[in-house]
Amino acid sequence: MKNKVLMGLAAIAMVAVLSSCGKKPQVEIDATNAAIEAAKTAEAAVYVPAEFAAVQDSMSAIMADVAAQESKLFKKFGPAKIKLEQTLAAANQVAANAAVKKEEVKKEVGTVMTEIKAVIEENTALMKKAPRGKEGAAVLEAMKTDMATIDASVVEAQGLFDKGAYMDALNKVKAAKEKATGINTELKDAIAKVKGKK
Amino acid sequence: MRKVWRDVLVFTAVAVAIPLIIILLIRFTPLPPVGEMEYAREIFSMAGKSRADTYSKKLYTEAKIYYDSAMANWNKENEKFVYFRNFDKVAMFADLSAKKASLASENSISSTTNLIIKLKQKIDTLNNLIIDIDDLFTTYPLTPEVRTRISKGKMLLKEAEIAYKKGQYLQSNRKLTDSEYLLTASYENSLSNLKEYFKSYPLWKNWIDRTINESKKNRDYSIIIDKFSRKCIIYLNGIKKFEFEAELGKNWVGDKRVRGDNATPEGMYKITKKFERSKTKYYKALLLDYPNAEDMMKFKSEIARGTLPASAKIGGLIEIHGNGGKGIDWTEGCVALTDKEIDTVFKISSVGTPVTIVGSMVDLQYVLTK
Repeated sequence: MKNKVLMGLAAIAMVAVLSSCGKKPQVEIDATNAAIEAAKTAEAAVYVPAEFAAVQDSMSAIMADVAAQESKLFKKFGPAKIKLEQTLAAANQVAANAAVKKEEVKKEVGTVMTEIKAVIEENTALMKKAPRGKEGAAVLEAMKTDMATIDASVVEAQGLFDKGAYMDALNKVKAAKEKATGINTELKDAIAKVKGKK
Repeated sequence: MRKVWRDVLVFTAVAVAIPLIIILLIRFTPLPPVGEMEYAREIFSMAGKSRADTYSKKLYTEAKIYYDSAMANWNKENEKFVYFRNFDKVAMFADLSAKKASLASENSISSTTNLIIKLKQKIDTLNNLIIDIDDLFTTYPLTPEVRTRISKGKMLLKEAEIAYKKGQYLQSNRKLTDSEYLLTASYENSLSNLKEYFKSYPLWKNWIDRTINESKKNRDYSIIIDKFSRKCIIYLNGIKKFEFEAELGKNWVGDKRVRGDNATPEGMYKITKKFERSKTKYYKALLLDYPNAEDMMKFKSEIARGTLPASAKIGGLIEIHGNGGKGIDWTEGCVALTDKEIDTVFKISSVGTPVTIVGSMVDLQYVLTK
């Protein structure tokens, strides 16, 4: 009688072990999701979009894998756990890369900002030396308007920079710099022509 | 002995029954649509790579909603007892997600391709428009507001080009739309002013022909001032003898109406006095008979119509003088030449030499085509 009871218990235990040998890795899932959210907050979608998309894809595949395991009678979450660990590490790396890239862009905006201020200063000085004969003065008048627009653009770029919108600030300040450099070249050419004539 | 056999039998039965139960459990467990979900996920990922989230946002969002619904249903079914699960809805949502994502992907690729072509064309068109604006209006007295709008339009175009080069097509498109609005509106407004101004061309043409004919008939000098091209042209015997750059009143477009409007008058005049260096602050000067009878009549008519206030005074002392070469329209209505050029004009002209001032010696079509 004692043997029968033991055998029955063994059978039940076997079924129980086989059918529930894995437990959904909820802690790992939550941790990975938190890491992805942190990457999102670090503006990974703006600064390292491809890497961020890859992490999201990876997480999506893992969640489907977890659901597939949950549908099974005999669950096996081991491979999903490994992938979650990898994705967590990748998400942390993406967040770090985004921060690095953001810092690079921020630095670039700062550099272009300094450069453009120097060009604007130089242009103001060149304007005084520029030849005014023929159509020169009319062109200089048009340049003055363009320089005012450049100044306004630099102010706008600074506003975007202060708000942390470094990508937008970079585009704006780059356009302003191109324009200012164009004026600088025109002014230098005009002055050089006059000097050459003398 | 019998007991032993019975135990062996029971053990065997249990040993066979358990795997059998397990096999039956596995065999009849409803299977989730793993393949369909994987396919939907791959297509959705591809849509993301083709930037459907930006260029086919609606379809991409729909695909995402269907995928999320599939996952939610899958998890919901997983909570049920194994034999009561039904994954039909999961498969349906996965299928819908894949279809939408596929459409989003195609749509995005096609939209992006079209957008790139459209943006390139628009950038070229606006750059050409800027060339036209610069050609036509650099020396045209546009208002500071219009000049600022043109300048802003140019800056936005530059920003659009940078965004385009970086592949930020939507941002580029937004900048181009703003730039196009500023540049096109400024150009059309300025061109409409120019067209209005050139309506007087037939009259100008008549004056020009008469002035040249007079020079031919009298075998003498005649002077024509072309305001639009800023030229002072000297004719002798009806043939062009000299051509100089001229500078005009700050507000040279249109006829002079009133004292202080800084406009250079238009009409057929004659030199009435010649001022040597000691008699003028502008090196040398040739005084014209402005206002003539026609100018007086127009001025009085404007007063009578109320388009000018009764207190308004007609201008005068319009001259061709020196001190020019500044490269800008700076006078209060006179025509300025360089000192060297006024020397020439001064030498060949005398009291009575005809001076005709016109808006343009060529018609607007020619100006625009040129």
